[in-house]
Amino acid sequence: MSRFTGLIPLALVRPFNALGGLLLLVAAMLPWATFLLNDGPFPEKSTLQYFDAPFELTGFRWHLLVFGVVALVTTFVPLRGKDRVLRALGWGGLVIGLVCGYFIAENGGGFGAITAADGASAFGSVVAVLGGLLLILGSMAKPLDEIPEWPTSLFGLTGMAARLEAYAYLIVAFAGVLWLVTQTLTAGGIGGAAFPYAGPIFLAFLGFAGGLLGALHGIGLTRWVSHLSEKHRAFSIIVLLACAFLLPFPFTGAGSQYWMQVAAVIGVYAATAIGLNIVVGLAGLLDLGYVAFMGIGAFVAANLSGAVASQVGLDLPFPVAALIAAVIAGIFGAIVGSPTLRVRGDYLAIVTLAFGEIFTRAAQNNIGELTGGASAIPGVPQVTMFGTAFNEKITLFGAELPSGVLYYFMIVLVVGAIMAVFANLKNSRMGRAWIAIREDEDAARAMGIRTGKAKILAFLVGAMLAGLAGAIFVHKLGTASYDSFKFLESVTLLAAVILGGMGTIPGAVLGASLLFVLPEKLREFDDFRLFFFGLALVFIMRFRPQGLVPDRHRRAELAGETAEGKPIETEEEQAVLEHEERGHAGPSAPKEDRA
Amino acid sequence: MSAAQHRAADTVLEASGVTMIFGGLTALNDVSIRLEEGRIVGLIGPNGAGKTTLFNCLTGLYTPTRGSVRLRGKSLPSDPAKVTSAGIARTFQNIRLFPNMTVLENVLVGRHIRMKQGPIASVFHGPVFRKGEAAARAKSRELLEFVGLRGVETEVARNLPYGDQRRLEIARALATEPEVLLLDEPTAGMNPQETEAARQLIFRIRDTGVSVVVIEHDTKFIFSLCDTVSVLVQGEVLVEGSPETVRDDPRVIEAYLGKPREEVEADVAEAAAQQQREDS
Repeated sequence: MSRFTGLIPLALVRPFNALGGLLLLVAAMLPWATFLLNDGPFPEKSTLQYFDAPFELTGFRWHLLVFGVVALVTTFVPLRGKDRVLRALGWGGLVIGLVCGYFIAENGGGFGAITAADGASAFGSVVAVLGGLLLILGSMAKPLDEIPEWPTSLFGLTGMAARLEAYAYLIVAFAGVLWLVTQTLTAGGIGGAAFPYAGPIFLAFLGFAGGLLGALHGIGLTRWVSHLSEKHRAFSIIVLLACAFLLPFPFTGAGSQYWMQVAAVIGVYAATAIGLNIVVGLAGLLDLGYVAFMGIGAFVAANLSGAVASQVGLDLPFPVAALIAAVIAGIFGAIVGSPTLRVRGDYLAIVTLAFGEIFTRAAQNNIGELTGGASAIPGVPQVTMFGTAFNEKITLFGAELPSGVLYYFMIVLVVGAIMAVFANLKNSRMGRAWIAIREDEDAARAMGIRTGKAKILAFLVGAMLAGLAGAIFVHKLGTASYDSFKFLESVTLLAAVILGGMGTIPGAVLGASLLFVLPEKLREFDDFRLFFFGLALVFIMRFRPQGLVPDRHRRAELAGETAEGKPIETEEEQAVLEHEERGHAGPSAPKEDRA
Repeated sequence: MSAAQHRAADTVLEASGVTMIFGGLTALNDVSIRLEEGRIVGLIGPNGAGKTTLFNCLTGLYTPTRGSVRLRGKSLPSDPAKVTSAGIARTFQNIRLFPNMTVLENVLVGRHIRMKQGPIASVFHGPVFRKGEAAARAKSRELLEFVGLRGVETEVARNLPYGDQRRLEIARALATEPEVLLLDEPTAGMNPQETEAARQLIFRIRDTGVSVVVIEHDTKFIFSLCDTVSVLVQGEVLVEGSPETVRDDPRVIEAYLGKPREEVEADVAEAAAQQQREDS
C-alpha cells in the first residue's frame, strides 16, 4: 500500500483510465515535432512535415497505440490485477512521452518544437505524457489488487500431458524473451554520428519494454512462467540456451557483427557480475576492487597465449591458458580474502579498494615486464579451435553468421556454466554458510561454521570466475591493457549486482546487460551517461532497494513483502486476509474480478 | 523422578575456576559448575551477574582469563565453531536467527558441521551430494516437528511469531547434534502457556540424552525444570544445589530474591495472572 493510496476518489478510476488510454491512442496518431530538427527528422515519421500517413505507425508510435488500445480494453473488461496492468501501461506511456518530448524540445530549441510554433502544431508528446499520468493516477484510488495466481496447467491436465503443456508455454515464453532481447539490443540502431536519435529511441523502447513486462507481471503471467520454469528447470535451461544460440541468426535482426560484439561484451561482464554476486550477494563481503581479478586473469591469459609482446614465451591453447588464468586469479582472491578474517564491513571495503588500486598501478608500471605498462600487451591471438579462428564468419545450417559469433557462442556457454555453478553453490552447505555469515556472523560461528575459511573460499571462487571471464575478454579484444580494469569498472560491476538484485542470477545478468549496453546506446551523451547511471541508481535504490530481480531473502528484508517467496497455500491465506482488510477499508474490487 | 536421575552420573561439562576479566571489571570470579549427563542445570542471578558471560566462556566466544572448561574431560578450543563441532550448542538471549533465510534453511545451517559436502561436490551436485542433502533436509524437518513448528518451513524466519522464533533457534541448535545445549533465557517474553510448552520441550530434549544448561529469570520456571540450580551474584557462585535447597537458602532470598519466599511466590503468581489477563 503506497502513501498515495486514496489520492483520487474511486468514482474517477474508470474515467481516468478510459481517458488515459484514449490519450495514448491519440498521441500515437498525432505528429510529435513541429518542425524539422537540426539533426534531421525525428524517427517514425513523427515530424509534422513528414507526417503524411497517421495510421501507418511504426516504432514508439506503434508502441503507444498498443498501450492505448490495451488500456482501453482493460478498463472495461473484468480482469484480475487490472489496476497493476493499467499502472504499468501508464508508466510506459509516460516514459515514452517524456523521453521523446524531451529530446525534440532539446534539439528543437524549446517547447515550441513539441507544442505549437509558426502556426503548426504537434502535441504528440504532451498528450502521451498526460495519458500516462492519468493512467498512473487511476491506480491510486485504492490499494493494488493481489497479483493473481495461475494454475500450473490451464486445462487441468496431469502427468505427461501437463508436462508437455508446460513445455509448450515455456517455449512460447522464451521465444518472447528472445524477441524482447533482440528488440532491446537493436532498438535505436547503432548510436553515434550516423544516427543521432539512437539514445532516445532506445530509452523510449525501454519504456515500452518496462510497461509491457509490468503489465504481464500485473496479470500474474511472469510469475506463472517463472513457477513453470522452476518446476521444469532442465527444460528451461535447454530452451534458454537454444534461444541464446538463435540470437545471431539473420531472422532476429541482431545477427550483425556489431551486435555480436555488444552481446559478447555483455556476456563477459555478466559472467564477472555473477562471480561478484557470490562475494557480495551471498557472503555479504563488500569488494570494491573486484575487477582486478578479471585483470589478473586477462594478463595471465595474454602472457600465456603467445602474444608478441609477451615475455613468457609460451603459446598455450586457449582452454589451458584460460584455466591457468582462472586458477591464478583464484589464488590472488584467496590472498586478498585472508585479511577478511580480521576486518569486517567498511574496513574490508577499504582493503579491497586498495588492492584494486595496487593492481591498476602495478599494471600501469609494467610490473615484472608482464603487463606492458601504458603500451599494454597488443596482439593477443584470436582463439582458434579446429582450425577456425573465433573472429571469422561461419556458415551454420545454411545461414551466414557474422564474425565474432563464435565468441558469442563460447560466452553463452561460459555464462550458462557459471550460472549453474552459482545456483548449485547457493543451494549447498557452502552457499548456506555464506548467507548465514552475511546474516549474522556470530550466530554462524555458533553453528560451527568456520567463517574464515568460508570467506576465503567465497573470494577464491569469485576471483576464479572473474579470471576466467578476463581470459575470454582479452582474447576477444586482442589487447590486454590496465585501462580496462580500473576502479570505475569495479564500481559499475557492483552497481550491476545491486541494480539487478543481490544474490540472484537473472539479477546479475540483467544488471550487467543494462549497465554495459547503456553506454553503447547512449554514445551521444558522452560523459553525461555516467550522470544518467548515477541518477538511475539513486532512483532504483530509493524505489526498489531490493533490485530489479530480488531474491527471496532480500525481498523479505527490503520490500516488506512476504507473499512472493511462499508456497501457494499460505499466499492464498495472505490474499484472503488482505482482501478482508480491504473489505473493511472500503469497497473492494468487484467480486467477479477475483473469480 | 525421571530415569535420568538414577543413572550413573557422568560429568559432561565442567567449568572450574573460570575467571573472566574485562579491563578492570571482573565479570566472573572463580566460577565452577558441573553438568552431569542427562541433567538440566539452571543458572539464575540478577542482571549483570555474569550468566551470559559464563555462557560465552562455555561456547568459546570468550577465552577465560583463568580457569578451564572441559567437555567430557577434554579442554575446549577457544573458537566457537570448534566448540560447536565438539558438541556444545547454544541459543542467544536476544534471538539471533538468520532472519532472511527460510525456517528450513536456518535448521540446515545448523546441520553444517554434520554434513560432508566439499566445494567440488557443491558445484556439481552429484548423487552423493543429493543423498546427503536429502538426508539433511529430512533430519531438519524432523527437528522442526520435534520443537513443534509445522507448515512454516518455507517461511522467512523474520516473519515468525516471537515464540516460534525461540523454538526455531532451539531446532537450529539441536541440528548440530550437541551433547550439551545452552539455553539463554528461552522463555523471555513468553506467556504462561508458551512457558509451559517450553518447559515440556526442554524435558523432551533432556529425554533424548542431551544435557541442558538454562539461564532464566523466571524462578518458578527454573525451580520446576532443573535438577540443580546455581545462583550467580556479581560474578560468583553464591549457592549451588537442588531447587529446594536453593529456594530455601536465606542468602539467595536476600541477595537475589530480596524478599521472603511466600511473598515471592505470591508475586510470581500475581505476575502470571496479570500476564494471562493481558494476553486474553
